[in-house]
Order: sequence, then structure tokens, then C-alpha cells
Amino acid sequence: MTELFHYRQDREAYSAARVKALQALLIKKGVITDKTVDTVLDFFETKMGPFNGAKIVARAWVDPAFKERLLADTPAAIAELDLPEGMAGAEGEHMRAVANASDVHNLIICTLCSCYPWPVLGLPPYWYKDPTFRSRAAREPRAVLKEFGLPIPDGIEIKVWDSSAQIRWFVIPERPAGSEGMSEAELEAFVTPEAMMGVAVAKAA
Amino acid sequence: MKLQHYLGGLEGLGPVSTETRVFVEEWEKRIFGIHTAMMALSPQLPLPATPSEFRTVWTWADLRKGAESLNPFEYFKFRYYEKWLGGISGYFIDNGYITAEELDALTDEYLSDPSKPLPTGGSPAIDERVVQYLVDGDSPKREATVSYEFEVGDTVNIKNVPSVAHTRLPGFLRNKSGTIETVYEGAYVYLCDTGSDGIGAPMPVYCVRFEPEELWPNNAEQNFSLYADLYAHYVEAPATSGTRA
Repeated sequence: MTELFHYRQDREAYSAARVKALQALLIKKGVITDKTVDTVLDFFETKMGPFNGAKIVARAWVDPAFKERLLADTPAAIAELDLPEGMAGAEGEHMRAVANASDVHNLIICTLCSCYPWPVLGLPPYWYKDPTFRSRAAREPRAVLKEFGLPIPDGIEIKVWDSSAQIRWFVIPERPAGSEGMSEAELEAFVTPEAMMGVAVAKAA
Repeated sequence: MKLQHYLGGLEGLGPVSTETRVFVEEWEKRIFGIHTAMMALSPQLPLPATPSEFRTVWTWADLRKGAESLNPFEYFKFRYYEKWLGGISGYFIDNGYITAEELDALTDEYLSDPSKPLPTGGSPAIDERVVQYLVDGDSPKREATVSYEFEVGDTVNIKNVPSVAHTRLPGFLRNKSGTIETVYEGAYVYLCDTGSDGIGAPMPVYCVRFEPEELWPNNAEQNFSLYADLYAHYVEAPATSGTRA
């Protein structure tokens, strides 16, 4: 899309200066502190992030009863696990999980903005926020998934979930072939944000 | 009508981005941090008061209203956090926290000296509240007594409510017919009152399933379903006039 538009030559340097100026003014005027921005960023590096989602999915792979509870009452099942405080916090107050199976593939989208389950996945990647993805996934999910390198056979039903109210969604991907007998910690490494949103599947490395 | 309300199904856009990074420029982290702090310090939340000078309401709804009010070409032109930077800077100017002149002047200073340090200071209580907001969240669920007009399996029509500044009704679902997939327990408020669009007060939320053929006749892929969570105000019983089988 970039070539359709003209941008100022110092596009990124200008935005970098402007946001730093805004932050400086807000600190000076007592709206935020000199540590506020770092506090927020640190929270998403250590407390809310895809490392939580990976633990949840790995548990669901090794414990079918947990997976059932996760699908039936997502927040209650997540609360069973030893995860950081805030798993029902901002943008995760009401989460709902759906599971892929041999005949169903799930894809999470947000056509109006970029609703994303923060506690379990952290912040949304750029592909999820892109208006082109949000437009096209609603009408031609197979074509879109193919561009992500994930061809879905015609015989598999695709369920596209548009997050337009206050419920936040994620996918339990299928456990990858070749991961038999592995520990939960080993399995966590195969769970990516893309697999938990449905533009990828989990693969055993 | 606003293009931003009607993105679902838009054609001719070219390939999708497969960029998996959250931030593609370091500066984007700062505007995300500022936005999250604004949400956390917004005075309608039941969190401890702090010495912060932030005294006006800021929620996702305010950020979204800004994005939805953009020229649609600019909506596509600017990257995600560029839109945030424009909207949030404008908010602080419009609400009198800063002036456009001082923001421009300081931007020039940082442009010529990017390593110029930030000011220091501020009460730790402010940052404690920011963390508490992230941990506690801001649940839209309410115990209010509401009636559920529909049950799982019911056929429903989606209303064509008046088009206003902000909505949670995806445009491509207006006037379409779907099937109730889930009746969510309890009642849900929205972050603001959207006026004649109709949400804000506690009401049921339904997950509604749509067939692609209903949404885009002869112009959609096969063997998929689209599900959307919709506030009850957007959902109505099918018209009963006309012939019935």
C-alpha cells in the first residue's frame, strides 16, 4: 500500500520527536511520571504476554479435561493455572477460547478495530491491526490464510470470529505431530501468537 | 457512512501484511504507553485517586472515535500507531492540557537533538494506579436485570441503526439475517453511550452466526461461517409480514 501515498521524508524521525515531546510535556505537567511509559512496557514484557497463552495451550494439549473446562468457561479454567496476577485484567475481562480440530479451523479477527486478549497474548502484531487483513478475512479467509502460508483444504470448515463486543477470543491450536511424550515446557515453545489467532498452526520444531 | 465502519468485505486491497512485530519503530512504544496510562488514569474508574493532573475521560471508545472520524484515505495511509499519535496529541490539545505551539516547538527540539533527555519526576502513586488498572481491568459485565429476547438457534435480523460517530456494529452485517449461536450470561455495558446507535446501557450480548452467501451472495468463499458478538440493541426479530412457509 505504501507506494499509494506520499509521506514526509523524515516520517519516522518526526514521529519519534513528536511522541517524545508529548511524553515530556505530560511529565512536566504532572499527567504522567517519568517512569509511566516504562512501567506499562515492562508489564507487557513480564506479566501480560504470549508466554501466558503458550502455557494455557500446552496444558490443554496434555490434559483433555482442562481443555474441556477451558472451552466451557475460559476465565475459570485460566484461573486454575499458576499465571501472573491480572489474567482477567485489562482486555481479558471476558475471554472465550475455541479449539481447532481435524475438520474445523478457527480464525479471530476484529473488523472494527484491533480487539485482542491482552492477558494471554499481550499486544496485537501488525498483521492483526492491518485494515487489509481485517477487510479481507471476513469474506475470503482461505485466500488470506494462504498468504500466511497456511492453505486450508476446502473440506475443512473455517470459523471466523469477529470481536465486535467486549468478549476477547483466542484459538487452541491442534497439538503438532511429532510432539508425543514432550513435557508442557517443551510444548510451550510451539505455541505462537499467530497459532493462537488462527493464521498459523502449531508446529513441532 | 464511514468506511471505517464497513471494512469487512472490502475488495481490491492487495495482499495482507504478515508482519508479526507489535512495534515496528521504537517510538511506537511511547504512544502505546501514554494511551494505556490515560485509560488507567481516566476518572470514571473505581481506582484510588492519584496526584495526576489527568481529569478527563479517556477510554478505547475515544481512541476509536478518533480513528473512525479520519478521512478514510488517511486511515489507510497512516500506520496504526501514527493514527494513535495524531488522535492522542489532538486530545491533549483540545482538552487544554498542552498547546499545539508548545508541542510543535518541543518536537523541533527533539528533532534536532533526539538524545535530549526527558524531564524527571512524578508521584509513584500514578504508576501504581496504572499497574492496578492492567491487573483489575474494567469489566463491562453488569448484574442488571435484563430480558433475553432470543435463544440459541433463533433466526434474527440485524438492524440498520442510525450512522453516528462511533458504533460496535460492523457495517457489513447491517440488514443481514443470522442465527443465534450463543446467549452470553449477564448484561454488558459499553465504554460510552453511542447515542442513536443505541449501546451503552446494560443489555444482553449475542454471538450471531452468518452464512457467507447471506453476507456476499455469489461473492464469497465456501465452507466457512462468520460469527460476531453483537449487543442486543443491534439484533431484532425477523419481519413477520409476507408469506411464510
